[in-house]
Amino acid sequence: MIFEDFQLTNLLMKMYDNSAEAIFFFDQSKKVIAMNRSAEDILDTQVLKKMIQGDPKAICFACKGYTSESELKTCTACYFENYEKDFSSFQVYLETKGKGVIPYTASYQTIDPENGVRMFMLRDLTRQFETQKALQQNMMTKRVIQAQENERKRISRELHDSVAQEILSALVDLRVLKYMNVEEEVLKKVQHTEISLMRLLDDIRHLAVELRPATLDDLGLEAAFRTHFKWIEKNYGVVVNFQAGLKAKRYEDEVETVVYRVCQEAVFNALKYAETDEISVHVIEEEGKLKLTVEDSGVGFDELEGHSKGTGLGLYGMRERAELVGGTLIIQSEIGVGTSIRMQVPLD
Amino acid sequence: MQPQQKFNFEQALKKVKDHFEFDLVALALVQPAKFRFVLKWEYILGNKSSRYRRIILQTGKGIAGNVFKTGKPMRMSDVESELSKKDFHNYPIIVSEALTSFGAIPLFKEGRVKGVLLVAFRDERIVTAELFEEFKQAIGSSFGPYIKEEMVEEI
Repeated sequence: MIFEDFQLTNLLMKMYDNSAEAIFFFDQSKKVIAMNRSAEDILDTQVLKKMIQGDPKAICFACKGYTSESELKTCTACYFENYEKDFSSFQVYLETKGKGVIPYTASYQTIDPENGVRMFMLRDLTRQFETQKALQQNMMTKRVIQAQENERKRISRELHDSVAQEILSALVDLRVLKYMNVEEEVLKKVQHTEISLMRLLDDIRHLAVELRPATLDDLGLEAAFRTHFKWIEKNYGVVVNFQAGLKAKRYEDEVETVVYRVCQEAVFNALKYAETDEISVHVIEEEGKLKLTVEDSGVGFDELEGHSKGTGLGLYGMRERAELVGGTLIIQSEIGVGTSIRMQVPLD
Repeated sequence: MQPQQKFNFEQALKKVKDHFEFDLVALALVQPAKFRFVLKWEYILGNKSSRYRRIILQTGKGIAGNVFKTGKPMRMSDVESELSKKDFHNYPIIVSEALTSFGAIPLFKEGRVKGVLLVAFRDERIVTAELFEEFKQAIGSSFGPYIKEEMVEEI
């Protein structure tokens, strides 16, 4: 496309005036010929003054170095001095007015070879960095949770398959003693040992399930929930009314884990803080989504004040987990009415 | 085993409750073999809820679990100040019965803990060290088929 000359000049001027990018023009002797408003805005008054005075080293007062292959911030082979190297796109750190040291994407190139005029352009990278950091953090959390689940699975299996098995065979051996010709007194001692071992076996099985229920991996969500709620009832005397409307037996590993863990946390919160004897849990598949609801008619809490009794980490963790599988989590609570937690996870 | 006259636990518990005016007395006993020897609150007087019935006590957890595991008495003058809020749910009987102060002793049989006897208040009254001692004295050396102290067995 070819525009009329004046039109292009006009556009270029507008770009120069209004761009968020800082633009500097330097002459052969590295004195500033011109700079736009954005450029003036980011520089400290002292540096700006030096620049206007024509100090060829003025930029150095703001520049904290550029990123080379070997260093994050370096002055070696400075872009400002080094004409041989290509500096059409690189990263530089500048001390800015009020915002501290900020990374910029910079380009430093000759736009007028005859007169040696060079243009220095800076684009703020902070937001990009933040996005990247958030992305990285998200990936990190995901991996940490995954690693945690895998490790729990491993230990749980180990406990269940080898430790518990070993105790079970010891128990069987002990029971055989009953049918052998042994004294009453010995038999009594043996029975005590048997009771202790049985209790130990139960404890180990509990521990394994608490770490990560094998039922979740082997039989899926519904079965795992049923076992878990039975256990809750036995341990805390709280009844969980569970209703499931799942169309599939199994879902994606990650989805199952998230739904299970979020529900576990929500039920546990209700149990700890709601001061109620009953909790209701619904899991249904509807409109291509897996929906979980955990409700109680307990004491509730002030949503604005947050969780005054606990750390508040639980609610944060639930949301974090939900987000990992692209799900949403809504927490509603009212004092004296109760609390409800709803999660929706898209299935694809 | 010799057939012995059936001990009336309820009567014995009621006596303890009336004498000290406890709000709640409860006895947890190890269940017979067909229930896998689990520990459950079997007799309870002065309860407000029936939540205890659903609970199977675990060794090392809660009042009964702790006393059962350690074989040592346990006492709290003021539950509110001695237990952190975050720990309450691990003591279901305190929560469901709204106990404020309690004491619990182990009961032995054949050198093993076979039961836990709990006495408690749910108002401003306190199970003080003195009161707890008095209560232990009143129980005497045995409670039905159980004895109060662990006997050192000769090996």
